[in-house]
Formats: sequence, C-alpha cells, structure tokens
Amino acid sequence: MTSLGTTPSVPSVSAAGLCLSYGSTRALDDVSLRLGHGVTGLLGPNGAGKTTLLRVLATAVPADRGAFTVLGHDPGTARGRHDVRRALGYLPQTPGFHPDFTAFAFVDYVAILKEMTDRSARHREVRRVLDAVGLSDVRGKRIKRLSGGMRQRVALAAALVGDPGFLVLDEPTVGLDPEQRMRFRELIATAGEGRTVLLSTHQTEDVAMLCNRVIVMAGGRVRFEGTPAELSARAAGRVWSSTQRHPGAKAGWRTGTGAFRNVGDPPDGASLVEPTLEDGYLLTLDASEVAA
Amino acid sequence: MTDDVGRTESRGAGWHVPEDDLRAYARGELAPPSLWSADTHLVACAPCRAVLAEMSDPAALDAGWERLDAELDAPRPGFVESLLVRIGVADHTARLLAATPVLRLSWLGSVVAVLVMTVVATNSIDPERVSQAPTLFLALAPLLPLAGVALSYGPVLDPTYEMTVVSPTHGFRLLMIRAVAVLAVGLGLNALASLALPSYGLLAAAWLLPALALTALALALTPRLGPVAAPGAVGAAWVALLVAAERATSGSSGISGASDPSGSTLAPFTAEGQVVAGVVAALAVGLLCLVRDRFDFSSDHRSAA
Ligand SMILES: Nc1ncnc2c1ncn2[C@@H]1O[C@H](COP(=O)(O)OP(=O)(O)O)[C@@H](O)[C@H]1O
Ligand SMILES: [Mg+2]
Repeated sequence: MTSLGTTPSVPSVSAAGLCLSYGSTRALDDVSLRLGHGVTGLLGPNGAGKTTLLRVLATAVPADRGAFTVLGHDPGTARGRHDVRRALGYLPQTPGFHPDFTAFAFVDYVAILKEMTDRSARHREVRRVLDAVGLSDVRGKRIKRLSGGMRQRVALAAALVGDPGFLVLDEPTVGLDPEQRMRFRELIATAGEGRTVLLSTHQTEDVAMLCNRVIVMAGGRVRFEGTPAELSARAAGRVWSSTQRHPGAKAGWRTGTGAFRNVGDPPDGASLVEPTLEDGYLLTLDASEVAA
Repeated sequence: MTDDVGRTESRGAGWHVPEDDLRAYARGELAPPSLWSADTHLVACAPCRAVLAEMSDPAALDAGWERLDAELDAPRPGFVESLLVRIGVADHTARLLAATPVLRLSWLGSVVAVLVMTVVATNSIDPERVSQAPTLFLALAPLLPLAGVALSYGPVLDPTYEMTVVSPTHGFRLLMIRAVAVLAVGLGLNALASLALPSYGLLAAAWLLPALALTALALALTPRLGPVAAPGAVGAAWVALLVAAERATSGSSGISGASDPSGSTLAPFTAEGQVVAGVVAALAVGLLCLVRDRFDFSSDHRSAA
C-alpha cells in the first residue's frame, strides 16, 4: 500500500491552485505543491494558513478552488475521497479524545473508523502502533490520566493505525518539553520511512532535524519550496556577526557567545558567517512581507 | 455429547467454556460476547487451556495465544457496548455507538429525570382537568429526542469530530448509526413515560410524529445552518408554534365551550396536526437524503457563503 510512487518524479501528493477564504480572510491563496516520500516540513508563522492547508489535504474541508491528488486518488469525487481517506493518517492541531476511553480503546475506535472490522487483526494492529510510539505499558490507562506528551503519542498512534501512505501532522511538537520533543521527532522520522509525511510547525529546529524538504508559507501563499539546505543558502552572504546590533539589519539577535548575529544586507567589511535554516527562513518571511 | 459432559466434569465444578465454543475459539471464529467470556475464563483456568490445547493443532493454537494475548489488554466493553452486542449489534458498530456522548449513562439519567418530573407534574394537575391534554408532557417529549440527536455528533460534543470526518467511514453513515440509536432510546423512554399517563389514552402518544418531524428537520437543516443553529432554530420554532396554538385555543375555547372534548388540545396534537407533523417528517427525511453528502465534510466551514 505504501510502495506507490517511490521516484520523486511521481509525487505522492500534488496540489494546484488551492484557494480557500473564510469571509474576507484568504487563508489559502493559490497554493500549489508536490510532495514525495519522506518528511516535508510546512513552516510558517501563526495565521500563515498551515492548518487550513493540512485540513484541505486531509479532506476535512473542500477548497473553494483548485485540485489535488493523494497517491493517485482524486478527493473531488466521493469514490476518490474514500480512497484518500483509507490511505490517510491525520493528527489535528488540537486532537480530541474520549477521555474515558483507555489508550487502547481509543486507538481501537479510530481503527474501526478506518474500516478495520476484523476484530483480532485490528487488535494486533492497535498493539503494533501503541508499541511503535512506546505506549505499550500504559495502553490500559484511561486517556484522562495520561500526561500531555503521552496523549500526543496516543494521537500519533491513532494517525499511524492501518499503516497509511500519507501522514498529516499539524504542529505535533507544540506543548512538549524538549526531551519529549526529541523523542517525538525520532518517532516521526521513523514514520517517514517509506511514506509521505507533511508536518506543520513554526519551529525551524523541527525542520532542521527531521525534514528532507521544506515549504515556507506566509499570508496563505507558498513562499519557498525546496530542501532545507536550499532554504539556508538563501541567506548566504547575508548573515554577519558584530559586537552591536547593526541598525541596517532586517533582524538581529544576541547569540550564546554574546556577539550579535545580523541578517540582511551586510555593510562593507562585515564578518560574514555560515547561514542556517533560521536565517533563510527569516529572510524569506521578510521578503514575503515586502511583497504583501 | 456424552464426550462433552465427561470432559467438562474433568475440568471441575463451576462454569467452563463449552467445547463447541472452545473449538470455534481455536479456529478464531468465536464471536463476542462468547469470545469475551472465553478469553476471560481461559486466562484463569488451566484445565480449559489444556482442553483447548488438545483440540487445536499447534499452528492454530499459536495464533490463538497471540490473539488471547491481544485480548488481554483489549478494552473491556462498557455497559452500553455489552448491551448492544448482546442484542445482536456487531461489535465494531457497538464501539462507534459507545463513543456517542449522549448514549452515556449520565446523559440517559438526565433524560429519565426530566421525563419523570414531567409525568409527575402532569399527573398531579388538578383532577378536574384530566380530560384535557397532558400539554406539558406533549410539548417537552419531542424536544428530548431532538436534543439527543443534536448532541450525538458534530464538533460541539464529539471531541474526535475532526478525526471522524476524515475517516473513510462516511459522515452520514456514522450520523445515521448514532441518530437511529439515540432516537430509539429517546422514543423508548418517551413511550414508557406515556404508559405512566394512562388516563390520557392514545393522546399521550401524540408527541411521536412531532418528535420525528423535529428531529428529521433539524438534521436536514444542519448542512445549511450548522450543528448548533439547526436544532436550536427547530426547537425554538416548536416552542413558538405551541405558544401560538395555546393563544388560539384559549381564545376559541370560550366560544366553542366545554361541549367540545378536544377544545383544550393544542393544534399540533389534534388529528389534523398529526397529519401535518407526519408530512413534515416525510419531507424532511427526503431533504436529508438529498443533502447527505454535505455530512462528509467538517461543519465549521463557511456557514454564510
Ligand atoms: N474556521 C475558521 N473561521 C474563520 N477564519 C479562520 C478559520 N480557520 C482559520 N481562519 C483564519 O485563516 C487564517 C489561516 O489560519 P490557519 O490555517 O489556522 O493558520 P496557521 O495554522 O498557519 O496558524 C488565519 O487568518 C485564521 O484566522
Ligand atoms: Mg495552525
């Protein structure tokens, strides 16, 4: 089921001209993209339209205009939408639970919604995904007694049940402490092997550590699409260090060493430093603000 | 058969898993709730495990143990879920229903409490007025199934709504599974309450068609108005209709006088009113079928537009 389209020239997900407005807010403004295997990071500030894009791709809401396909299925038709949903794992931005259900019962419930009617095969699958996210020991505990980090893993297990080929994760690392975040990144990296994962975040750290591709969104539009290295390279020659915050810099901040890191158009004789993903992201956002 | 009895005795007194069940179990074909009984029992009963081992070939037995292992931490079904399985509902459907907030006991308890209070209030009304309609009960009874169905799906009360929408189970199918179950429970409770009002005869059942009409209408309007406003508007319309009917009745009863036995019956509960309610119910069901695909998407989406 997950071995479809392994070559990057055949994208697992492709979208063209997606638009969606809430009243006068253009949440998606002509969004086109192609996703292949591996983890793609969707990076953008709050209100950029990340959640809206993920909800459209997860078939929760229809776009006003535009079209997309997932693993060769067209969600514009009832038949195609059903096929997409069978191949989909979705972790919403604020996942809800039936708090009285145990972790096992909840994932089992989601497996039933995914049309797994054979009881023993389903239970084996539920155990497999709970093992995969490291929750075997607490699978009999009620969800209301689990910590926030554990709940997030229950939600990931629910997304993984049925081995979906397309995994959509909306800010999965928000609200986790640094240690939990590291663990969660490992889980997602593992989940990204052999399937297509689209993960939204506003942390460049997530992208740097997890993603082989990155899309930057702002104001409902795609501002960058490429590899993390390409995003960093956008800031090549535009990052320098100084003892004072440079007044002409687009952004500047004090680093751990006490020196200032400036991003923008460097003055003559500035001591240029190696750009990072964060620098490339800041410059991309800055350029999109100027454009808007 | 004699063979069975002999072996059962060798397993000692008390209940043991019947041999037929054990055989089905070994083949992986035993269905709930017998399956649950067998699983629970096998964990605790070495003799039964021995019999099971005897009758299973080794490969099938391994699969059986693996399954048993999986069953050990499988969710123990709650009251509602077990009851549903016992009356023949498939176990995965029972789980979908058990996840319906209004089918939880706390909700059912409040519905029962409301009905009991209404029936008590209706029965304690001045005995001279017993020939009149049990208006309070008839007015309230259709609102209970309406509220129950409204509260059984949608983003307000189902915390997993977003996940259910994007699941391959069609939203309309899930809605129907839940609505029919909630409606059955609500109508059943109402019917019991009607039986507690024997002095009103058939009139005490005049809530049924309005209840169906209100519920179907609310569901049919949900894609347009949203899951909160649709039942809200329908409920409000019902109350407004009753108030108007009450005005009309008290206005005309002075003229038609006490000779008309139905003089104090509000319009929706008269024969004509019942026909109208039936027609509205049928039309609403037709409309609901037309808009069924609108339940396949999240409902927070642009109710204006
Ligand atoms: N259900 C909704 N109703 C109205 N406006 C919405 C809704 N969802 C999102 N928006 C608006 O659409 C824009 C994009 O939001 P969102 O996709 O949630 O961004 P992000 O996930 O990147 O923070 C924001 O301006 C937000 O206020
Ligand atoms: Mg968001």
